[in-house]
Amino acid sequence: MWHTLGVDLGSTTAKAVVVAPDGRPVSSSIVQMGAVSKKGVERAIAAALEDGGLTRGDIVRTVSTGYGRRLVELADRSFTEISCHARGAVAMMPGVRLVIDIGGQDSKAIAIGQDGLLDRFAINDRCASGTGRFFDVLSRALEVEVTDISDLAAATSHEAEVSGMCATFAETEVISLLAQDVAPADISAAVMRSVASRTVGLVAQVRKNTPVVMTGGVAQNASFVAELSRQLDLSIGHLDEPQIAGALGAALIARDDYLSTVPDDERMQTEWDRQRSGSPIESCQDCDGAAGDDRGPVPVTLMPTVTRV
Amino acid sequence: MLKTKTAPSLRDVAPKAFASLKLAADEPIAYLENWKRETGGRVIGTFPMNFPVELAHAAGLHPAIVQESQTPITEGRGLLPEFYCSYSRSVADQAATGELDVFDAFVLADHCVQLLGAIDVVRWAKPETPNHFAQFISSMDDPWSAGQVRDKIDALRTELEEVSGAKIHPDSVSRSIALYNTDRELLREIFSARRDRSVRIPASELQALIKSSMVMDIEDHIRLLRALIPSLGELETEKPPVPVHLSGHFCAPVKPELLDTIEDAGVIAVDDDLYHGWRLIATDVPEDEDPFDALAQWYLDRNKSAPCATRVQRNVDWDDYLIDGLQTTGAVGVIVLMAKFCEPLMLYYPELRKALEEREVPVLMIETEHEGVPAESIRTRVEAFVERVSQTRAMPNSNHITAQQEVDNA
Repeated sequence: MWHTLGVDLGSTTAKAVVVAPDGRPVSSSIVQMGAVSKKGVERAIAAALEDGGLTRGDIVRTVSTGYGRRLVELADRSFTEISCHARGAVAMMPGVRLVIDIGGQDSKAIAIGQDGLLDRFAINDRCASGTGRFFDVLSRALEVEVTDISDLAAATSHEAEVSGMCATFAETEVISLLAQDVAPADISAAVMRSVASRTVGLVAQVRKNTPVVMTGGVAQNASFVAELSRQLDLSIGHLDEPQIAGALGAALIARDDYLSTVPDDERMQTEWDRQRSGSPIESCQDCDGAAGDDRGPVPVTLMPTVTRV
Repeated sequence: MLKTKTAPSLRDVAPKAFASLKLAADEPIAYLENWKRETGGRVIGTFPMNFPVELAHAAGLHPAIVQESQTPITEGRGLLPEFYCSYSRSVADQAATGELDVFDAFVLADHCVQLLGAIDVVRWAKPETPNHFAQFISSMDDPWSAGQVRDKIDALRTELEEVSGAKIHPDSVSRSIALYNTDRELLREIFSARRDRSVRIPASELQALIKSSMVMDIEDHIRLLRALIPSLGELETEKPPVPVHLSGHFCAPVKPELLDTIEDAGVIAVDDDLYHGWRLIATDVPEDEDPFDALAQWYLDRNKSAPCATRVQRNVDWDDYLIDGLQTTGAVGVIVLMAKFCEPLMLYYPELRKALEEREVPVLMIETEHEGVPAESIRTRVEAFVERVSQTRAMPNSNHITAQQEVDNA
């Protein structure tokens, strides 16, 4: 059976997702890298294939995405992380209208149209103050693991302030606050507020909408998600694996790309099988049909009925 | 993806003529210094975007539009704050560092507050150099507008006569008008070939043609354009993946490398309303009336030919002009290029974006700065823009089943 592969080569992690013909994710992997690395990509791909019990021969199409998408030699095509996160998020949470992706190097707000397609986007420019990099700076200054930042911030008891205008200057601010004996928990919470406010500004560029979901590594930071939700005054949907959204989107685009090359009857059969299998990809499961501020109906893709002889 | 860099371009099909034009565009000060050495003439610096250069030419001066320098801003940082646009900061820097010494006088007809700040620095740095401000009214269709503009043409004439030391004869003005009209006509011929997509010309090369016209001796420029135009037929005619309209960017040119980055990311500009583009050449000076009246009329006509956020005119709207243009050229999206802190464009952009989005025209705004081009970020945004436009265009075939198809399938 054929499969497609999506590879998301970010600035700090490489992610790979394999999907089956019906669009269901078969396996995935996340590899931490020190910097953008071809070896990291190879490890991520190998791990995803091994996890799915597959070989490279089972992969008919590969799409790469992310900051280092052009470095993925195996890829047949590459797409931006904006399109791939949009596609992946819609697959993970059908009906979603706003995707906030905060990765290690950049942050994006992506508006999804009623048709489930990418509509508008905004991306940070020339500045790392609203990105995962900001949390790296914080963890280094506080001498804690970046994964511990969320719990630390949850223990805040007093309000501190970090301007958040620059990730580099923020480090100076954090050191200054430590010198003033401000508690690390309060500093962490201040950084959460600062990054969240930058993110709200990014969202404003594409306009608020619901349902909203976060993708990327920072989505695993519960304290940040709670703070962003508070500042946006919106509930943010939870994804089990937000980091693989881009790679999943890439794998699904690879699937579309492959299906566009097969004969019509084979493509229709594949889509028919997908619908019968209950794969949520492309459909709208568990949706009340009232997503979005406009409360308009959520469209579903109508597939042609296959006549069986 | 089609790559502009690998497709034949003007530098390939007309290397000699294009090289001369490109050199003047890339090194305007060096060109002017050389021109002065060779001719012994005097150069008058004009500032964007509405000065009637024909009048200065008729006075026996060589008019050249002062360009943004490619060098980093150094001394200028202490003269104008960071929240001035890159062009005005660069002009201030050039004045402070002596780059503007080639100019024998300066004239200005626009009254952008930031530009006036830069001119003040020029006055401070070069107090002996004549510097005249003839403010053209920005309200284009008030009952008094035409009269005020005509008065300013007379004031300019007097000023230029003083600078040149000679009377400006109407016949000289008519000859200058004819020359500049010819140059604009030749440039429009090239732009039209791009617009109707009979040839592909990189936006950065078209910019070089326009920018060189702002600096070069006009008769030399006409000669080089005439040498170049017969080669247009050798350019590639293949249809680009995503045709777009480039909009905005007043006063200063977009960095050529930014234009290349944009076009390498999967689009091709088929039209624009940039000042270093169509906006400069859209309007001719009437040749069948008193030449001084004609120059005033030219100014009043400019906003109708290519509407601008710096001008106010009833029944003339930039967004309507843009949307009509898209229908003509078949451009499927608009990339707005905005110089950081360009207030007229910053203030107008929300209206432009709203009008385009209401018509479901995809818009991408790219902010530019004097200091560098964040190439990877811009490439990602343009590629995402292309993907967004492409998926929308693919919808009727791939994602939507027509009612008839559903019936057939049933």
